Amino acid sequence: MLDLFYLVSRQQVPAWLRLLTFVAGLSTGLLLCTVVLVLSGVSLSDAVNEFVYFVFFNEIGLAQTFTAFVPLALVGLAAAAAIKLRFWNIGVEGQMWVGAILATWVATYDIGPPWLRLVLMFVMAAVGGSLWIAVPAVLKLRFGVNEIITTLLLTYVAFLLVQHLLFGVWRDADTGFPASPAYEPGVEQLAKLGWGNLHQGVWVALGAGVIWWWLMSMSRFGFFMDAVGANAMAAKASGLPVVATIVGAVILSGGLAGVAGLVIVAGQEYRLTQHIAVGYTFSSIVIAFIARFNPIGCLVVALIVGGVYTAGDTLKVFYQLPSATITLLESIILLSLLVAEFFGRYHIGIRRKVPA
Amino acid sequence: MDTFILNWLISVPLFAAPLLIACLGVIVTARAGVLNLGVEGIMALSAAAGVVSVLQGGSLWWALAVAVLCGMLLSAVFGIATVVFKTDQVLSGLIIVAMGEGLSGVLGRGFTHRPITGFESVDFGFLHDLPWVGPIVFGQDILVYVTVLLVALTGYGVHKTFTGLRLRAVGENPSTADTAGVNVTIYRLGAVIIGGALCGFAGAYLSLSAGQVWVEHMVAGRGWIAIALAIFARWMPWRAVVGALIFGGTEAIIPRIQATGADVPVYFLMMLPYLLTLAVLIIPAITSRGSQDDTPAALLTNYLREDRH
Repeated sequence: MLDLFYLVSRQQVPAWLRLLTFVAGLSTGLLLCTVVLVLSGVSLSDAVNEFVYFVFFNEIGLAQTFTAFVPLALVGLAAAAAIKLRFWNIGVEGQMWVGAILATWVATYDIGPPWLRLVLMFVMAAVGGSLWIAVPAVLKLRFGVNEIITTLLLTYVAFLLVQHLLFGVWRDADTGFPASPAYEPGVEQLAKLGWGNLHQGVWVALGAGVIWWWLMSMSRFGFFMDAVGANAMAAKASGLPVVATIVGAVILSGGLAGVAGLVIVAGQEYRLTQHIAVGYTFSSIVIAFIARFNPIGCLVVALIVGGVYTAGDTLKVFYQLPSATITLLESIILLSLLVAEFFGRYHIGIRRKVPA
Repeated sequence: MDTFILNWLISVPLFAAPLLIACLGVIVTARAGVLNLGVEGIMALSAAAGVVSVLQGGSLWWALAVAVLCGMLLSAVFGIATVVFKTDQVLSGLIIVAMGEGLSGVLGRGFTHRPITGFESVDFGFLHDLPWVGPIVFGQDILVYVTVLLVALTGYGVHKTFTGLRLRAVGENPSTADTAGVNVTIYRLGAVIIGGALCGFAGAYLSLSAGQVWVEHMVAGRGWIAIALAIFARWMPWRAVVGALIFGGTEAIIPRIQATGADVPVYFLMMLPYLLTLAVLIIPAITSRGSQDDTPAALLTNYLREDRH
């Protein structure tokens, strides 16, 4: 039966076809997601209400969406930076944990003068994330060890390290809960902007997006990134600094993920807890791929995913749906988009006669 | 000290079996040139499905069947995406991880932390009373013996049968296999689904036998360790046994040490399996760089007949 069809790779996919497959894939994905939600007991009107009106067209909901957007934008950029060069950083959560640990270390032991404290926390979070990704980077570039598994396994190691600290030296003496002592307001906390819980971290996320966009489109580094991402062998043959480009992008990726950990602990939780970095790895991949690694695209997609997160919080409260629901919906949409691309990449012909 | 070692050895198969079965699933799939990174998600879904079936009044064997079927269905999604629609294998695998974990969370809500009576150890009569050998070899649950059978079957199937030869040909050089009349699509889809069934079995083992409960995130990276194990075993079923015993032994020693009440940092102890996995990936890469590569040559590449040259 499969012999009835033949496929021809298209040399170039026309823009209208690309758009058509994207819209078709997205519609299919959204339809499937709706089916999943309805099967889980959410009525259709509630689903539309929660996922569209509340999160984007309601002042309270939109503030929540923007708050969720801050770490999502940073992890989306982190994933885009590395995966564009075929370095599969699927350890974003691990880098967030280590970033949050080092930031908490600065906050807990009051390192540096108060006016410099937040800056120091930022720097240490970025350093933490970069260090955590440096290990897989060295292993891959020097010894050819597959980075998919190493980045992922180091996430588990980082999380156990967090638990070791939270059930040990950093356990909050006042409450006995496995959470670090609260950060000092005004000194170690990112200030609120007066709109819901939105905090200064939003400037960090937007700034990172714009700087990354400038780097990618205006600088020599961006040109190297494009060349290495398109074809590393050809780039090497042309004398471009391939290894240095990969190292630079990967370290930046880890740093961005570390800062994403920081904006959660310093902007939302005000302490290190066991719940800050759960589920971000897959979201980062979804954002990077839907945005096709474009920095500004990452910001836009992160805002939409932020809406999904906000709606997910509501579903958790009113329908007892677990946070895994969000992951499920994201996976359905990304798979639909991916499969739809097939119809753009190939011309599908039907054989009149099956050759013998 | 003797009882410590004995108790440890008795519990090794409990930890080794799920890793081994999942690893077999990865190997069968990879031999056809497809790397299914979705193992972690498939195991999560099957682990949840097994416990939900039992709590709904099904028998243990029925629950096992449901779990295996779930593994096959989820891997079929992966297979259709990668083999038919030529999507990127790595990205599709990561999507399957998310999908499996998401489905398990949605499906298993309301069924977490509810203990079940799982598979009991098999009664071998007087054999169980033999010193040392008795409790270690003849004191395991039935699925451990099924696992041994599965290893033998997989090893034989992949290396000694014509179907296995065609399977490996598809993984090494699909266009040659195609020219020789092997249906690459069918073989790849078949391998993905059989691999999914094995991963489903592994997930069911975790919840129906080892844990006897369903808790979210209970797979805890074992799917990824199984993939690392397959690389370590150089894609050979019998070598996976050695690896699984080493890993199972490491995992099994953690609760034993905790039981002695010794003052060791618990969370560092729990890092051991992950650090060991890193070590087995790193050490061969450092010591024998480029000497011998048993990886199926067409692994991670999608086959398109019209692109053949």
